[in-house]
Amino acid sequence: MTFPADPDDPDHPAATGVRPFLRATGPGVRYEPAPAPPPGPAPGEPPGEHTTSLRPFVITSGRVAAVDPAIGLETQVSAHPGALSARLSPEQRAIVHLCGEPLSVAEISARLRLHFGVTRILVGDLRAAGHLDVHVLENDFPDPETIMRVIRGLRSIS
Amino acid sequence: MDFDPFPESRVVGTARVPGAPQRTAPPVPVKIIVAGGFGVGKTTTVGAISEISPLTTEAEMTMESVGVDDPGQATAKTTTTIAMDFGCVTIDQTLKLYLFGTPGQSRFAFMWDDLVRGALGALVVVDTSRIDDCYPAVDYFERAGLPFVVGINTFNGQAGYNLDEVRWALAVRDDVPVLQFDARFRGSVRDALLVVLDQALDKAMRMRSS
Repeated sequence: MTFPADPDDPDHPAATGVRPFLRATGPGVRYEPAPAPPPGPAPGEPPGEHTTSLRPFVITSGRVAAVDPAIGLETQVSAHPGALSARLSPEQRAIVHLCGEPLSVAEISARLRLHFGVTRILVGDLRAAGHLDVHVLENDFPDPETIMRVIRGLRSIS
Repeated sequence: MDFDPFPESRVVGTARVPGAPQRTAPPVPVKIIVAGGFGVGKTTTVGAISEISPLTTEAEMTMESVGVDDPGQATAKTTTTIAMDFGCVTIDQTLKLYLFGTPGQSRFAFMWDDLVRGALGALVVVDTSRIDDCYPAVDYFERAGLPFVVGINTFNGQAGYNLDEVRWALAVRDDVPVLQFDARFRGSVRDALLVVLDQALDKAMRMRSS
């Protein structure tokens, strides 16, 4: 009988922050969760896309309300360099990974297939931990100069 | 990146590295909402002008929403957008326009407050054969005080009714523009959005002078 590697064993370090039940099945995986998940994506799921079957409240540790309602769909998020070396949950790690360049919360949500509400809570957590910059706008409604720039920009589209 | 033997040591506090090169400043995001009933061409509208193919969080229509989300006779659409689809247009390096297509069904209205906050305005897409589909969207934007424009999607080549008839049917205020556009064509979508921006500019000027 073989035992799974001890995550604290320096010879067999666990993949950082990846819970065993979230690991993809593949050659790099050392042990499988007790009820083996069906191989490959479930029917109806686009191939090559990874979706977790976790309930949203598991990912957010039970929270349903975002810390900061000012974090909107279009709010730009960028990761601090070095944030990837912190110990993060898989979802948080994925967010940090995506945000090397500024990215909107909506894009994060769509690319990771996380619900927007979940994404917003995780982004708020990452900001509180100092891993992300969240660029919240001061004004609720854009000023006329900004709108004029959008108008000029759109007019130049043919 | 160098191997860090003590990754935990960075968990607390900021991970910013002093002296690291300045990263690109994020663009200022602005957004316009594309709203309307089920299957009227919101995704087509977004896709026509977006520089990325629209990112979608679409879920397949479930059994209980059959009948509620009646796609009408003309469409063979079997899924309904229960979240939203969006695209973007980079105006320049410091300004980015996002377009969010949102379902018009009133039972999804809980999502709209997030959507409307900070929005420049909305384009309400209308299919004249199912004009009542857009009532929830029109109601919502009127209450929220968001500038909006009614755009009749002529994707069948004809509007079916003239603009005055549509205006009468929707009972929108006289200062709300009602126009025709074709969601499939970039130029047509652009012109419709420019009318929305015109309304937004009016509002911004009023806010400044008051």
